[in-house]
Amino acid sequence: MFNVQIDGVWHRFPKGTRLIEACEQAGSYVPRYCYHKKLSSPGNCRMCLIEMGMPKMGPERKPELGLDGKPVINWMPRPQISCAQDVSEGMGVRTSSPLVKECQRGVMEFLLINHPLDCPICDQAGECRLQEFSVEYGTSESRFLENKVKKPKNVVLGPRVTLDDERCILCSRCIRFCQEIAKDDVLGFVDRGSYTELTAHPGKRLENNYSLNTVDICPVGALTSTDFRFKMRVWFLKETKSICTSCATGCNTIIGAREDVIYRQTPRENDHVNSCWMCDYGRLNFYYLEAENRLIEPQVRVGNKLAATDWKTAIDRAVLQLTQVGGSEIAIIASGRMTNEELWLTLQLAESLGVKLIDIVPRREPGDHILLSEDRNPNTNGARLILKSTAEPGANLLAIAEAVKSGQIKGLAVLGENPMHLGISIDQLSQLSAFVVMDILSSEATEKATVVLPACGFAEKRGSMINGKGRLQRLNRAVRPPGNARDDWEILRDLLQAVGGGDSLLSIDDVFRRIGETVPQFTGLTFSKIGDLGVHILQMEELPPTHPSDEEKIELAVAIQARRRAVRSRQT
Amino acid sequence: MEEAIGRYPADRRRSGAMPLLHLWQEHFGFISDEGVQWIAAKLGLQPINILELVTFYPMFRRERAGKTHIRVCRTLSCAMTGSYQLMENFCAATGIEHRHQNDGIHNPISVSADGNYSIEFVECLASCGTAPICMIGEDLRENVRAESVVELLRNQTSHIKHQTSPHPLEHRLIFKNIGRDDWKVEIDTYLHDGGYEQLRKAVTMSRTEIVNEVKTSGLRGRGGAGFPCGVKWSFIKPDEKKPVYLICNADESEPGTFKDRYIIHEDPHQLLEGILISCFALNARTAYIYIRGEFPEGAKILERAIEEAREHNLLGKNILGSGFDVEVYIHRGAGAYICGEETGLIESLEGKRAYPRIKPPYFPAVLGLYMCPTIVNNVETLCHVKHIIAMGGANYARLGRQNNTGTRIVCVSGDVQQPGYFEIEVGAVTMGQLIYEMAGGLKPGRQLKAVIPGGSSAKVLRADERFKLKQKQPDGSTIEGEISIDEIPMDFDSLTAAGSMAGSGGVIVLDDSRDMVWTLNNINEFYAHESCGQCTPCREGSLWMQKITDRMLRGGGVTEDPKTLKTIGDNIAGRTICAFGEACAWPTQSFVQKFQEEFAKRATKPVPPPLPPEYTPEELIEEEQIPTAPMAHDPGWEKAGAAGTI
Repeated sequence: MFNVQIDGVWHRFPKGTRLIEACEQAGSYVPRYCYHKKLSSPGNCRMCLIEMGMPKMGPERKPELGLDGKPVINWMPRPQISCAQDVSEGMGVRTSSPLVKECQRGVMEFLLINHPLDCPICDQAGECRLQEFSVEYGTSESRFLENKVKKPKNVVLGPRVTLDDERCILCSRCIRFCQEIAKDDVLGFVDRGSYTELTAHPGKRLENNYSLNTVDICPVGALTSTDFRFKMRVWFLKETKSICTSCATGCNTIIGAREDVIYRQTPRENDHVNSCWMCDYGRLNFYYLEAENRLIEPQVRVGNKLAATDWKTAIDRAVLQLTQVGGSEIAIIASGRMTNEELWLTLQLAESLGVKLIDIVPRREPGDHILLSEDRNPNTNGARLILKSTAEPGANLLAIAEAVKSGQIKGLAVLGENPMHLGISIDQLSQLSAFVVMDILSSEATEKATVVLPACGFAEKRGSMINGKGRLQRLNRAVRPPGNARDDWEILRDLLQAVGGGDSLLSIDDVFRRIGETVPQFTGLTFSKIGDLGVHILQMEELPPTHPSDEEKIELAVAIQARRRAVRSRQT
Repeated sequence: MEEAIGRYPADRRRSGAMPLLHLWQEHFGFISDEGVQWIAAKLGLQPINILELVTFYPMFRRERAGKTHIRVCRTLSCAMTGSYQLMENFCAATGIEHRHQNDGIHNPISVSADGNYSIEFVECLASCGTAPICMIGEDLRENVRAESVVELLRNQTSHIKHQTSPHPLEHRLIFKNIGRDDWKVEIDTYLHDGGYEQLRKAVTMSRTEIVNEVKTSGLRGRGGAGFPCGVKWSFIKPDEKKPVYLICNADESEPGTFKDRYIIHEDPHQLLEGILISCFALNARTAYIYIRGEFPEGAKILERAIEEAREHNLLGKNILGSGFDVEVYIHRGAGAYICGEETGLIESLEGKRAYPRIKPPYFPAVLGLYMCPTIVNNVETLCHVKHIIAMGGANYARLGRQNNTGTRIVCVSGDVQQPGYFEIEVGAVTMGQLIYEMAGGLKPGRQLKAVIPGGSSAKVLRADERFKLKQKQPDGSTIEGEISIDEIPMDFDSLTAAGSMAGSGGVIVLDDSRDMVWTLNNINEFYAHESCGQCTPCREGSLWMQKITDRMLRGGGVTEDPKTLKTIGDNIAGRTICAFGEACAWPTQSFVQKFQEEFAKRATKPVPPPLPPEYTPEELIEEEQIPTAPMAHDPGWEKAGAAGTI
């Protein structure tokens, strides 16, 4: 631990603390543009200049002590940057002295003279460092009487990122991100001096799966998301902390929504999971919530057609149909995209009905060793813990599909999945005497359902999931579901109650508590205890390795789905 | 091509980017997009990495130049002697319509319609003593008369005019052989003259002995900062595990300075010997000479010198039987002043844009080239090492003054009768002697107005200023005396005490015919062009200052301009990554402060009010362009608030 004097007060910081971070921890925020704690420090914006001093050395090279018993500080005449230096013993810092303020005013003025000052039409307005620091550290008047340097505008850097070079303050955060995090060195500066421009080589664009992170870290409005730009002023967005459900990594996110429409999803810092980043695939994977084929009314089969009905009728009909079939003739295909609470209720339902055949659909695609996981189910670990199957999640799936195909199964409940992806044909589905579907989008398969229960997407509900590394995290509701769609856990609870059971499950917190009674890893936890950053509950190395025969079966299920997808993409 | 890449460590192929770009341009005339991609693939880089370089270094062209490419020096000493007129005459003679930088186009090259000629203004070509100068193709033309352009284009031979024999006030050590009629650049001449004896002596000495000799000599760097060379060397640990690199900074480009040019072109072996002794002393097995791109002939001469030295076993494996292996390589720059900054130079040598590094943590002696300990020394400094070995550090220290030892080359240009280079004992000659006795005095009927004493970045000294300097008396005491500009001794400490610096030794003399706003604008244009653009104050401030002085020159000066100029300078100096911040701020700060009356004369207009919108909403309403209707109903805000319903 080092003693450091910040604005006259002595603090202690561990060795290796960056000075700019130390100041922030001590309550003296130092403005910065180029510095980002997850990237290297080039020290080029000069916004974080501070006055610095080192202990005055007396004879015998020992620090001289003042009247207060603390080292006397020798102040350096020139301001220093605080972003590239670690704290050291006896260091002194002044973050708001007249010299520092003058430096900040000077840098702000320089940054703004060639800036277009087009805040009214800039997407960054409202979360722009240039705006914020200009109010806090700059002056309101401009002394600049010359013509501004003209640079390219509306530059398409890649499929998802658009650049305005005139707004760029050349902090190089995006360049360093591409080099150091995304390992795809595509951005760079061309030309020199005041004419310097950010660009990508026309032969190699910014199209990696992490490109939108450059938009997040751009402190100004230079890099904008092509998807989000000009759609919504950021101050209208209601921000909800949640997690991404597009793979097992479970990146922490902020969902920006207004009036039940999601406008963007941005990463939220969590050093245990995703640092400050998320992939573009996960970030933009929310538009399906507004899809045309969204299921918004509960429906029951009347003759050849599905007819909209009320929730009570739909639930009663579903339970009636399922109970008419024997438990051994029912199978449940659940999903690795369901929350822990939903999976637990599903298991209760299966037990009440006497169902033995239950499994989730495995999803695997190549990962990238950065954030994107091979396992594209966000909650495989939840299924592992809660469904209590001896087999690996997904290993029984093909057996279920075979049983459906052979006609051995007469009742099928499918929760958030499409059975046709497993090779079950439409005819085989129409043969079923009970085919209950809980999903958010209609498909060829849902058309054949006997009961359709419209549910919620990831941004429309609360719940918890366990990511690929064993961390329990929370989903939060950012928007309300459309139409009469209902929260999945409520649907499952109602089904369970109609079968007979599911008492006193009045809120999702009740469900969570009940899980804790049977699953030791959940014991003692509550939703609020999970917190925004999650809790590590599962040591992955303690899990028994997947049995080779299970692995084979899972691979086969994945392969069948992949073939099916390939056929579909050819058709479209 | 492989040879060019082979000069750098195998895992540092990126360093080969600039040599490959040079080769590509020599072969194809310009660097096409295909070239960018090909070189990137060759070096295992991304195309953007190469594009970054091509656009950073002005010598690399992305469009075809004419068959004959003309570069006219635009910087101060040349501009003072008529390079703008020269440019116009060239354009007229070749039928080129010239675009200038002020059009907002960076680094323009103008090509004649028939494709035979192309022309560009370039910044200082480092031959200010023979201004105005230009380069036709790769040949330097000196003392060019503006009316002789047609002749010049026809006559393709190069001729370098030499100064006559040394002035009696000179003490020639480094420049002993420069301008000698019987002197040739070949090694035989050098060996015949006792060359490489010092290297032979050095390899018998211990490393610490050599470093100590250099320390004792008190040698201070001749590149600009004047840092003690021996102290710099002692930053290298004797038991260093990583490879140590020595870099010779031959990127001479401070306007007003033209000493290294002569050493490289006429006495390359002296430099080489200095480098080899220094390599031995530092245990550096590899040395790079970073030579500015505008010295193509110098690069060739040095290449030849290296080969000659290799033939004599002065370089290569086991030199002179000492068991010491050393290689010296040439690395050519491509027109960026910032490469003279040592960490910028290192970045450039690594094949990147020459963005100076932040210090701490990147002190070259610790984390230099390829993150290894590196010493960067100026050409002249390295030459002095040879003479320190010859004379012994203590003897060398007797030259010059205390703390300002040895000799140094002072380059005089501008408004003097006989501009040129003079090697003097540091501090043994005063400014007055230098200007009036050595450089032939001012032009007839002219008075001294100002002197820029250490390259254009040094603060200007006004002729009628009085300077308070501490002077050492024979008995050892010091007294403070007030002296005139003519009495300032030409040494590091005196010039610093006079509020300027000895810098790189480039003295630019201005007589009373000079417009100081024009002069400052010329200097500002240089720095605005050469700012690397990495850090905010210098990137934005250098161009802003230039725009203001340019506007003042064109008659648009407003009363606030001098004050604005000064504060811009204040906001740059001391707040940037490298010393370029000071370099670009000092001229403005000192010119505006010392020639207030001239700046005030050009800054008489009132500051315009902020631009109003074309029409205010009120005006539009009055003109009935905005339809207005009385508010339909009371929105009821106050009531709502009062009732607590919001």
